[in-house]
Parts: sequence; structure tokens; C-alpha cells
Amino acid sequence: MIRLFQNLGSNRKPVTPWSLGPLEVAVLEILWTRGESNVRHVVDRLGRPLAYTTVMTTMDRLFKKGVLNRRKCERAFLYSPRLSRSEWEHQRTGDFVAGFLSEHPSRDLLISCLVEAVGQYDETLLDELQKKIRTKRKELYRRGKA
Amino acid sequence: MNLPYLMRLWCLSLASFFLLHVALGLLVSLTAPWAIRTASGMEARLAARLLLALRMLPAGLAVLIVAGICAPSYLWLEPEASAERVGWGCLLPAMLGLAVLSVSMARGLRIYSRSNRYIRQCERRGWQTRLGRGRMPVCVVAGEAPLVALAGIVRSRLMISRLVMSALSPEQLAAVLRHERAHGISRDNLKRLLILLSPNLLPFFRGFGALDRAWAVATEWAADDLATEGSTRRALALASALVRVARLSAPRPFPLLATSLLADGAGLSARVDRLLHPAPHRKEAHASPILKALAGLTLAASLAGLILQPATLHSVHELLEDLIR
Repeated sequence: MIRLFQNLGSNRKPVTPWSLGPLEVAVLEILWTRGESNVRHVVDRLGRPLAYTTVMTTMDRLFKKGVLNRRKCERAFLYSPRLSRSEWEHQRTGDFVAGFLSEHPSRDLLISCLVEAVGQYDETLLDELQKKIRTKRKELYRRGKA
Repeated sequence: MNLPYLMRLWCLSLASFFLLHVALGLLVSLTAPWAIRTASGMEARLAARLLLALRMLPAGLAVLIVAGICAPSYLWLEPEASAERVGWGCLLPAMLGLAVLSVSMARGLRIYSRSNRYIRQCERRGWQTRLGRGRMPVCVVAGEAPLVALAGIVRSRLMISRLVMSALSPEQLAAVLRHERAHGISRDNLKRLLILLSPNLLPFFRGFGALDRAWAVATEWAADDLATEGSTRRALALASALVRVARLSAPRPFPLLATSLLADGAGLSARVDRLLHPAPHRKEAHASPILKALAGLTLAASLAGLILQPATLHSVHELLEDLIR
């Protein structure tokens, strides 16, 4: 029983997407674009001078958070994202909405804003329809005069 | 499981209903895309009738066959013995039949009571008046939400918000009243209730979504046609009223037994285009009501004669015996 609880406790829980820092997100972006990579590849592609050890620590932290998978190849680790970009985005949106709805005091406001945003008629469409009606009315008026 | 005579009849009726309903429902679902395409080329009123008939066909025909053939054949040909064994092949569809009927009844009654509660609430908050040429009873509701809807099954009432009343010109308001009156004349809320009460294909799978949506669009178009009666001036007034109400707010889903002016938000553009460029009016050949009734009676009598033949009843009874085992 004790082992069961220890096992449960040691299971790496996937991290919520909102708790990642900017460097972690940058690393993740490189791995999505490039695929499986080691620390050196990521350092070369980061676009800003960062120490090898900093990036290594970041990638190790991402692995421990459950965001990355890794396997040993010769003497280095090769890292790959656990979720694809679209799966990540989906989870990020879901977590944000769920978190907002469960904790935020003005969740009704958010829901009504979402409904408004999704259901709002396109102003351009309404202007276009109005224009059509006006043209038709003018046509009718001209015909009536003639 | 051993069941007495009358319980076996219930069990058989429910099982036959479920099996027939699923078979007919699948057939209707398969033919729905073709029916919708055909209906889109017809006059809106006839299209709405065709789609409603198709929508109600599985439930209506299944009830008719069970009540008109299965039950009589059991009552006439099954000896009134004591308890008899009923197999799972009959019990399972019977339970599913009971489930689809219960789900649809519960859904229909829930929405009916919610609808009534909503009307009472509106009436308490608003005030009654009569508008338009026909002095249509209208409940003017205070509040900022733009609302134009015909609610109620037997006694339909138009619910309109003060915001809409003040935003529309007299001509536009008259067009809206004619549109809603057209819904009332066609008894669209009663038809909506019938659709809600008609069973799902499976207990938690509705299965007729495309037909329901197409019917809703056809009823809106039919009401537009009836409201304008081929007059360009009226069509223009209704089109501009639609755009005006749409500008007031986002379209909101109307979960009640009511026909809202802008219920089908996605169809606004199509409705306005249709009003501005109406199809040429086709002259209909009206058959006399007596002739229609006579034709219906002859058809019903010949069908009843065919069905109630001893040979038919015996064949059905044999099928039921196979089902019960």
C-alpha cells in the first residue's frame, strides 16, 4: 500500500501550459519545428546567447514537468515534445477556460462575452445587407415615379 | 423471464415500435439529404410540410403499424394462457423502446413547462396591448434584451421588447407583426412541440438534426412569404426590420417553444436576399377539401382492408412469436 502511494506521488503530472516561462516556450517551439534534438542543437537555434548549462537545466526541468520526452543516445540526451503543437494549444485553451470558470468571480461575465463574440453579427455583413435594401428601395421608387 | 398476457403485449408493442422506428428512422436519415435538396427547390410552405412529414414519418408509421397490426394480431390470435417466457431478444428492444419514448416525453414536457414559465414571467414584467391591423395581442417586455418571438402552443402571444418597438419604424413593425402572425397561422409552435415529442433514433442519439434544421429554415421562409404576400414594399420593410433587429444585439439561441424573428441567425443574409429577389409566384392548383377527404378515406379504407386480412394478421403473429422467443 505504501509503495502504491509512493508510486502515485512520484508520477510526473503533466504541467499546465500556463506555468511555462518564456525560455521554456522558446525551447518547445524549437523542438516542434526541428523535431527530436539534443541540448547543443537547441542552443544553436535559440537566437540569443545563452549558456549551454542554462538550456540543459531548462530542458531537464521541462522533462521533469512532463512536457518533454527524452532518450539517451550515445552520451547525450535527445529531447522531443510530448504533445504536438495543436494538442498543446488545445490543452492550453481548455485549461485557461476551466481555470477561469472555476476560480474567477466574474465567470458569468466571461461566458456572456464569449457568447457575444461568437454570436455577434458581422457589422460589415449588416452594412452590406442595408446597402442592398437601400438600392432596391431606390429602384422601386424610380419605377414608381416612371 | 415469465410475463403475463398483458405484460407480454406491452413488451411486444414496445419492442416492435423500437425496431420499426429504428429501421424507418435510418431510412429517413439516409434519404434526408435528397429530401432537403428537393425541398430547397420548392415553395417554402410546401417544403416545410414535406420536411415535417418526413421528420414525423418514423414515429407516426411505427405507432400506426404497432397499434393497427401488431396489437390486433396479438389480441386475436394469442391464446390467453397464463405466464409465458419472454426472451432477451424481445426484452432488450422493449427496454430501448421505453427509453426512447421516456426521453422524448421528458424533453418535450420539460421544454413545454419552461416555455410556459417564461411566458408568465414576461407577462408579469411587461404589459399587454394590441398592435397592427388585426389587433394582434402583444406582450411588451421591459428590459434591454431585444426580443421578438411568438410563444405559446394553443394561445400564441407575441413577445416583443420595448427596445425593438422603439427601434423599428411603424412600417417595419407591421412587417414583423405579419411575419409572426404567419407563424401563428401555420401553428409552427405546435409542430415544434410535435418534433420535440417525437422519439430519438436511439435513447441518447437524436439522429434527425439535419431535417430539424432544414425544417426550421423552411418555416422562417414560409412565414416571410406569407407576411409579404408578393408585395415588394412589404418585403423591403421586413428585410430592413430583420437587419435593424440584428444590429441591436447578437443572435441568442431560443431554447423555448417559440419562433423568434432571428432564431436562425446564420440564415439572415439568405433571408434578406430572398426577400429582395423573390422567386416568381407560381399559381397553385388547389384540390377541393371534399375531394381531398374522399381520397384520404378511400386510401385509409383500402389499407385497413388489406392489413386486417386473416393472412396478414397470421404472418404478423408468427413474426411476433419469433421475436418473443
